Amino acid sequence: MNPDDFDYIRNYVRDQSAIVLEPGKEYLVESRLQILARNQNLGSPEAIIKRLRSDSPNGLHRKVVDAMTTNETSFFRDLHPFEALRKTILPELMARRAPTRQLNFWCGAASTGQEPYSVLMLIAEHFPELLQWNITFIATDLCGDVLARARSGHFNQLEVNRGLPASLLVKYFVQHGAHWEFREDLRRRVEFREMNLAKDWSGLPPLDIVFLRNVLIYFDVEVKKTILAKTRKILRPDGYLLLGGAETTFNLDDAFARVSFDKTTCYRMKPA
Amino acid sequence: MIDLDRLIEQANELAPLPASTVRLAEMVGSPDCHLDDVVELISFDQALTARLLRAANSATSGSAIRVGTVQEAVTRMGTAQVFALAMSSSARPFLRARVPAYNLGEGALWRHSVAAAVAAEIVPVFCQIVVPPETFTAALLHDVGKLVMGRFLNPEILGFIRRAQEIDHLDRLEAEALLLNVHHGELGGLIAQHWKLPPCVVLGITYHHNPDQGRHVICDLTCLSNQVAKFIEAGLDGRQFNFAIARETAQRLGLTPETLTDLGPFAVSRYSQVCRRYNAV
Repeated sequence: MNPDDFDYIRNYVRDQSAIVLEPGKEYLVESRLQILARNQNLGSPEAIIKRLRSDSPNGLHRKVVDAMTTNETSFFRDLHPFEALRKTILPELMARRAPTRQLNFWCGAASTGQEPYSVLMLIAEHFPELLQWNITFIATDLCGDVLARARSGHFNQLEVNRGLPASLLVKYFVQHGAHWEFREDLRRRVEFREMNLAKDWSGLPPLDIVFLRNVLIYFDVEVKKTILAKTRKILRPDGYLLLGGAETTFNLDDAFARVSFDKTTCYRMKPA
Repeated sequence: MIDLDRLIEQANELAPLPASTVRLAEMVGSPDCHLDDVVELISFDQALTARLLRAANSATSGSAIRVGTVQEAVTRMGTAQVFALAMSSSARPFLRARVPAYNLGEGALWRHSVAAAVAAEIVPVFCQIVVPPETFTAALLHDVGKLVMGRFLNPEILGFIRRAQEIDHLDRLEAEALLLNVHHGELGGLIAQHWKLPPCVVLGITYHHNPDQGRHVICDLTCLSNQVAKFIEAGLDGRQFNFAIARETAQRLGLTPETLTDLGPFAVSRYSQVCRRYNAV
């Protein structure tokens, strides 16, 4: 991939999604455009870039941005945040919200759905009474194609092997040939929406638990700060923010305080 | 970049392991394993019976008295050795194949697998933990995923993997996961599931490069066995090899730098002995 083409792609992706593709990532861009070129019958990454440059924004432009997103995910990813949810966060928030019986969750980088479905399985296993509450569970992602997969609730054998105990697999999934489908009664509790974290956040209710795990790493410092500032506005004063293991609010937003649990860290608003 | 559904399909199309081997794997891993059950199972498998009697009566078995029955052979060798013989014989036809995408010529994967299995047999001497009996199988089969993965890795994909390793300093497994959304460990786990091997064998194979994620001691042990196999191979080639074992893994296994220093040469010696005894490689 020539430097000019790489610069064009990384600038376009950054404008559209705020995702940063550092110099040196040419191989990654090329490999992902290669797949797209094959799927779109366009022959090569160069042919895709030529079309992007010459055509006004269309479906292909969107597909290129989608192709640059990393959708690595797994059920109960890193485990410890889910332990913190089970042992502390949910019991505490359930006690506080008992009068209203309402809890609002948001997964901000839901990918193919493993994170929201893991939380739902955790609730069904340990806090089944919560399913009788008024729960809003919003799961968003930049990429429409992965959200479509998340909505379908279908996972292949490799995906269910990643982090999902066999006991939960047989309890919450129905096998259809080589695929497994997440139980519909739980699936329909999640509202999946396309959403660009670098753009408009309207439509999100006040939130009790926000998952923004393993997504800030793809943005530059200014975008991270903006995202954290927006999170402050929608997170309830006693709500929790969960980030990925390599992410922090430190040096980005002083309004958040670290809360350490066993082997994980969450964030809450500092008292005003 | 590769069709995951097709990849899964191919993993599930590998010929099954002999039923007696799968059943033996279950028995050996069970706390209720009875010698009589093992003897009965083997008695119904003529090929395995013949191999077992040959091994029990071999010059290196340490006894001048010939055994004539399965019961005597199992008693002489012990269930773990019997199972190792059965599993090795079953896996050998698969693991002898060439896998050019991983620079493995004919027999190279088999030699590495045997070295890892030998390592699995000796690590109980060096580790301060109880070693699950399934460790041998997980070690022997830890790279079985390469067999299927290798079919999908064309020169173009291999070029991307090489660049990811060079530019971002990723290891092979991380590069596969980033570019293909699957790595050979996961695919090996899938094959082990297809072969109906016990769940902890599946875990050991799947997470042999990243044992933290497996959350089971067999993952640490399989990781260690792989490292010891590389040490053995390097030693036989006259190369230096430094163990690359995460601190957490070493802690969980109770390993110290000193025990690793002792483990390596012991493993090389044991591997050579096994090769002579069973003409294994």
